[in-house]
Amino acid sequence: MDIDWFQKIGNFGLTLLIVTVYGLFMGAFIERIIAKVQGRVGIPYTQPIINILQTLTRRTAISHGIMFYLGPVFRIAGGVGTLAFVPVIFGSETFSNFSGAGDLMLVIYFMFFGQLGMALGAGESGHPYAAIGIARGLSQMTAYEVPFALSVIAIVLQYDTLSITEIVAAQQGGWQHWTLFTNPIAVAAAMLAFLGMTGYSPFDIFLAPQEIPIGPPTEFHSAYLSLLQTNRALFGATKLVLFMNLFFGGATGWVELAIKTWAIYMVAIAVGVAFPRFRIDQSIRFFFKIPTLIGIASIVYVQMALVR
Amino acid sequence: MTGLPVSTYVLSTGLALILIGLWGLLMQKNIIRMIIGFSLVDTGIHMVMIAIGYVTGGTAPIIDSAVPIKDAATRVVDPVPSALVLTAIVIGLGVTAVMLSYAVNIYREKKSLSIDDCSESKW
Amino acid sequence: MVAAVFHPLGIFIVALGTAFLTPLLFRKREGFASLIFMLALAAMATIAAAGFLALANGAPTIEIETAGIAPPFAINLRFGLYESFFVFAVNLAALLAAWHYLPRLRKHAATLLLFIIMVMGIDGMVMTRDLFNLFIFIEITSIATYTLIGFEREAGMLSAGFKYIIATSIASAFFLLGTIFVYYQTGTLNIDDIIAHQSAIGGPIGFVALLLLLTSLLIELKPYPANGWGLDVYETAPSAIASMISVGVSAGVIFALYKVQPLFGDFLTSIAVVGGITFLASNVIGLRQNNVKRLLGYSSIGQMGLMVLAMALLQQHGQHTHLALIVGGLFLNHLLAKAGLFWLAGVVQRDTVRGWAGVAGKPLLLLVLGVCLAALIGLPPFPGFWAKWGLVMELAVDNLYGWIALVLVGSLLEAAYLFRWFGHALRADDSEPVNVGVAPLLPPAAAAALLAVAGYFTARSAGVVPGQLLLPVYAAGALFLLDGLPGRLKSLAMLAVVAGGGFWVAGDLQGLNRIFALILVAGGLLMAVATLYRGDARKGFYPLLAALLLSLATLLTAHTSLEFFTSWELMTLSSYLLVTLGRDGVKPALSYLLFSLGSAFLILAGFAVAFAATGSIELAALGNAGDSVPLVFSLLALGFVIKAGAFGFHIWLPGAYTEADDDTTAILSAVMSKASIFGLVIVAGQLGVRADIGLEPAYVLGWIGMLTATFGALMAVFQEDFKRLLAYSSMGQLGYIVAGIALMSHLGWVAALYMTVNHFLYKGVLFLAAAGVIYRTNTRLMYQMGGLIKNMPVTFVAVMMAIIAMSGVPPLTGFGGKWLLFNAMMDKGWYWLAAVGFFSSAVAFLYMFRILQTVFLGQRKLAHKDLREAPLILLVPQVVMLVIILVLSAYPKLLLDPLSAAVAPYVPGALLWDGLALQSHLGYWNAPMIMIIVGGVWAIPLIFLLLVSLTIKIQPVKQFNIVYAAERPHRPEDTHYAYRFFAHYERAIGVLVKPHATAFWSAVSEWSHTLAASLRILYTGNGQTYVLFILVYFVALYFANTGTV
Repeated sequence: MDIDWFQKIGNFGLTLLIVTVYGLFMGAFIERIIAKVQGRVGIPYTQPIINILQTLTRRTAISHGIMFYLGPVFRIAGGVGTLAFVPVIFGSETFSNFSGAGDLMLVIYFMFFGQLGMALGAGESGHPYAAIGIARGLSQMTAYEVPFALSVIAIVLQYDTLSITEIVAAQQGGWQHWTLFTNPIAVAAAMLAFLGMTGYSPFDIFLAPQEIPIGPPTEFHSAYLSLLQTNRALFGATKLVLFMNLFFGGATGWVELAIKTWAIYMVAIAVGVAFPRFRIDQSIRFFFKIPTLIGIASIVYVQMALVR
Repeated sequence: MTGLPVSTYVLSTGLALILIGLWGLLMQKNIIRMIIGFSLVDTGIHMVMIAIGYVTGGTAPIIDSAVPIKDAATRVVDPVPSALVLTAIVIGLGVTAVMLSYAVNIYREKKSLSIDDCSESKW
Repeated sequence: MVAAVFHPLGIFIVALGTAFLTPLLFRKREGFASLIFMLALAAMATIAAAGFLALANGAPTIEIETAGIAPPFAINLRFGLYESFFVFAVNLAALLAAWHYLPRLRKHAATLLLFIIMVMGIDGMVMTRDLFNLFIFIEITSIATYTLIGFEREAGMLSAGFKYIIATSIASAFFLLGTIFVYYQTGTLNIDDIIAHQSAIGGPIGFVALLLLLTSLLIELKPYPANGWGLDVYETAPSAIASMISVGVSAGVIFALYKVQPLFGDFLTSIAVVGGITFLASNVIGLRQNNVKRLLGYSSIGQMGLMVLAMALLQQHGQHTHLALIVGGLFLNHLLAKAGLFWLAGVVQRDTVRGWAGVAGKPLLLLVLGVCLAALIGLPPFPGFWAKWGLVMELAVDNLYGWIALVLVGSLLEAAYLFRWFGHALRADDSEPVNVGVAPLLPPAAAAALLAVAGYFTARSAGVVPGQLLLPVYAAGALFLLDGLPGRLKSLAMLAVVAGGGFWVAGDLQGLNRIFALILVAGGLLMAVATLYRGDARKGFYPLLAALLLSLATLLTAHTSLEFFTSWELMTLSSYLLVTLGRDGVKPALSYLLFSLGSAFLILAGFAVAFAATGSIELAALGNAGDSVPLVFSLLALGFVIKAGAFGFHIWLPGAYTEADDDTTAILSAVMSKASIFGLVIVAGQLGVRADIGLEPAYVLGWIGMLTATFGALMAVFQEDFKRLLAYSSMGQLGYIVAGIALMSHLGWVAALYMTVNHFLYKGVLFLAAAGVIYRTNTRLMYQMGGLIKNMPVTFVAVMMAIIAMSGVPPLTGFGGKWLLFNAMMDKGWYWLAAVGFFSSAVAFLYMFRILQTVFLGQRKLAHKDLREAPLILLVPQVVMLVIILVLSAYPKLLLDPLSAAVAPYVPGALLWDGLALQSHLGYWNAPMIMIIVGGVWAIPLIFLLLVSLTIKIQPVKQFNIVYAAERPHRPEDTHYAYRFFAHYERAIGVLVKPHATAFWSAVSEWSHTLAASLRILYTGNGQTYVLFILVYFVALYFANTGTV
């Protein structure tokens, strides 16, 4: 296996740039939509980029210790790495990234990398709210992981592969081949899990964005925060790309990608503006009920309808 | 002589003694009476043993001119049970003696001869 | 000439001569009389020993004729191999008992005389071949015993003695009646002659005659429920006398039963049932007993029941050749162990079990007690182990599975109350310490030593080569002698012994066994290095650790199921004792022991069924078991997973792991737990693949594994205790491994072994790190820690890496395990298991993060400000293991190729490599590339941040300098979010982890005690009730057997 590492790294750098910038703009776009719903004007499109630059150029910073310092590094490494393992544009060698290193399992497990490192960094700050936020976030994660895992198993079963590229390939040839239409039950389970994954209302208590700062990033500021903000856009976009690949036929070009990921994101936003926040134990129980049942149904469906 | 052979009377008396003795062991609370019960059982057994060795109309197991050796098996009383009984009586005596010495000591320790007072250990 | 001196008749001559001389000598000088008395006993034992040795070397059986007339016309005695063995054993016990009791015995001429007559009576019971003569010897023994019980003239003894006399007199009366009826029908009293003419015994009289004889002998052996009088005597009589009744008189009676058993051909089932009921009932009732000597009484009666059962069943099924080893082994084992325990009870003089706390900390006493108890419940290397093994195997051959269950359940119950007693003896409380010198301990110590010697020879006659197999015992014995040395020196000696022994035993293994040798032996040694961190004396610790590690080594070399089981039980015993050494280890150790024994008994039963099906004890022959394969597999697999802490049977695990010493726990979890994985692999390898039929149990096993993984993780989430959390985590992680083995596929097994290696590495690091933290903070509660990253950075990094390796987050080793397992499960079509696996690995994140957060991050306690890093010697093994983790993470092929090759003989297949990427049916995994990419994406932001740091000033701040709702935090305790970290999770799904399993097992225990309480209400203490029981017993036997003759 000869890899032209320079070529690969260059290509990945390009992908990274595009996805990050796209993520930032989409963040602003979504904020504006929410603002419109609430009858406000909203932020300018460039606001996220401005925020990052602003935090990055702070003249002072403090450190609680080495893990605190490394936390944001872990966090963004998690985001970048996850993107590195996901092929972004189907059929394009340039934008396939390093998906040859591992399959869907790798992506799912690597998503924890950044969360873990971030949690450690936040932990060293010594702020109890950070620890509370992490405890809640992890708990919620175990809950939405169940319907998500069930739905992943269903589609792995359906396409008989763990390779994301091959899963996308199997959905080519028209919208009727998308998982959304071949296995809507699995998609339903996955999209419910997605609501928890994005951390929008009603599943946003671990971040509690409206209150005085609570949650993992509480103590982070200046350059640390700029890394976190960048990652938020990047990682969000990466998850959208992953969902698009698994359930919505992937994308053969950037425009298709932009439309599909925006549409997927809108699901979370629409739910978020419509529903109030769950308490953490409520949200955990929620995922163990209907979404889990749907997930189970999706596997049964695949076993009965497709594998035969 | 008519009716049942004498050994049958001995046998049935012996069995009756055994039963009476057992009744005494089970029903009498007094340790001395229980020991008497045991003695009755013992004696009853001895009688049963003798009865079993008896040959109706037999003579003493002495082989001499009166009892030729070829008739010995049919005409003499079996000597073995009698010999056993002798031994058994000696043993019974020994056991009874030990029991009585227990009775003495139990009375000395507890000032009572009731078997119901001998139930310190249980369960 | 020599033959004349050692002629068995000499035993009687010496005994009677001494008996007549004693009163005369006593009047002159009592010291001289007791010397002669001891010499006489010694002479009797010597004659018996010489006879036994001669007979064992092939000398002919000695027939002793009396009155110069050949039998059947005169009484004859026989001194054959079995007789000589019993006589020798009884005389030996008598010699030791007399030694133990000499201070009291020597006070009266009568006691000396009676003691020696009692012993002679027992010898006569064994040797005589005449039925009436047997009666005489029984009576001689009885009269001597009656007097010895009562001669102290204490009220309790007198009461018990009188009840004993009444009961045994009735038994004798039965015997006499039976004898005379038999004589009436056969015309002879010679036992051989009677047996030859047994066809003459018939009709109602013959039936009653046999029944009378049988009832009499059984009553003498104290069958449940007609045995209250026996228990009373055991409880009250002087220990030496109680011991002689328990092991001596019973020996005579049981040999008498053996002699006349050919007459009882039609009653054998009844006899076995009587033995079985007695064994089971005594051991159930023993659970409630708190008086030590009565406890020993229950155990004695139970053991006799077991011997009666074994004798009857083996004869019924024509297994005469195995009688010697099985009944002989059980007999000798019980003789030495029970006598030793009675003498110990006599020395210690504490009535109740609790009072034995005064024994704590007395090494010799505890050693003797432990040896006798271990022997009694049939642990290696003592004779009872080999005998019980033989018994279970032979029962299986005759398809007597119900009896096997009875024997094993009874043994487990016996272990429960005996080791509860041992537990009290280990744990000092406020009761007054026992003060005894060495001298009074010598007789019981001699019994213990003889048990070891006897174990060696029994092992040889069981067909085992005890050289390598018993190496753990030898090593422990040798190190025990060095136990007075300073702690670190002992540690080094232990390391040397384990290294040498381990290499000698397991150095040249191949394939799968080699891989396990690396984990169990080399890995165990690496972990054992950490024991150097504590310098204190740790009495008994190092010998036991050496025994544990070496038993793991011998386990790997086992070719037969007997060798395997021997090592397994040695491992159980040594690890149990290690757990008891922990600060509060005694109580959890008992539940650990009971579950371990339960699992061992299942394994034993599995091997027995396999032996019955294949006729071979070779492990390699397991697969030939044909139709029995599912049963064998289920029994063995259940046994192994219980030992691995499977869900439902896990309740022993947290306690044992938590309360054991910290470095012990590391070895138990990281190393010893792999022994059950090894067992499972071996068994599954022989059965799962070679057997042609499908294995439904494997699917069940898979579910057991995954449920264990899930519930282990869930329960770990809610723990506050550092080690308890890790214990549950260990349980959960082993669940994945079990599930991997259950897959019975190449990929599944590679996954299982990969996870096994990985679990060893990260769990070793975690427990050693925990040991370091606990060593410094003196607490195990995580909320009392916090912020320790500043004090213990190396430990923190070790824990963090280990946790990443455990969690499955790339790029460290854990991901490989998850990837392999998931692929193997999807290949097999076990989707639901895969889904559960996803969930449990997500739950595992919760507790893993919690360790890092609450121990190392957050707010540091003020008291912990000056703590130092963990001791260096504790860090060394951790660093070594971390290096291995890193190497294997980057280049897993190093591990996967040998694993694949090792499992290929069992589960054919190969791993498919595309360059450095491992391919599966579904996906691919390129570990080196992942390592490079993760390294890259991690390094680039780091460099960026470092560059930024150059341009701005980053100021380190103190721990309270945080944005805290416009307040300054008050103190670390209020600010460290650590206690009930996942309270919300408990509120959400805590219902899943209610301690149902604990409640269930508590109910089982409660129920057993209730049963014991209702079974023992028969023991009213009233002598007449006991007489009634005896009569009813006869009637019951009569009705149970009408129609059989």
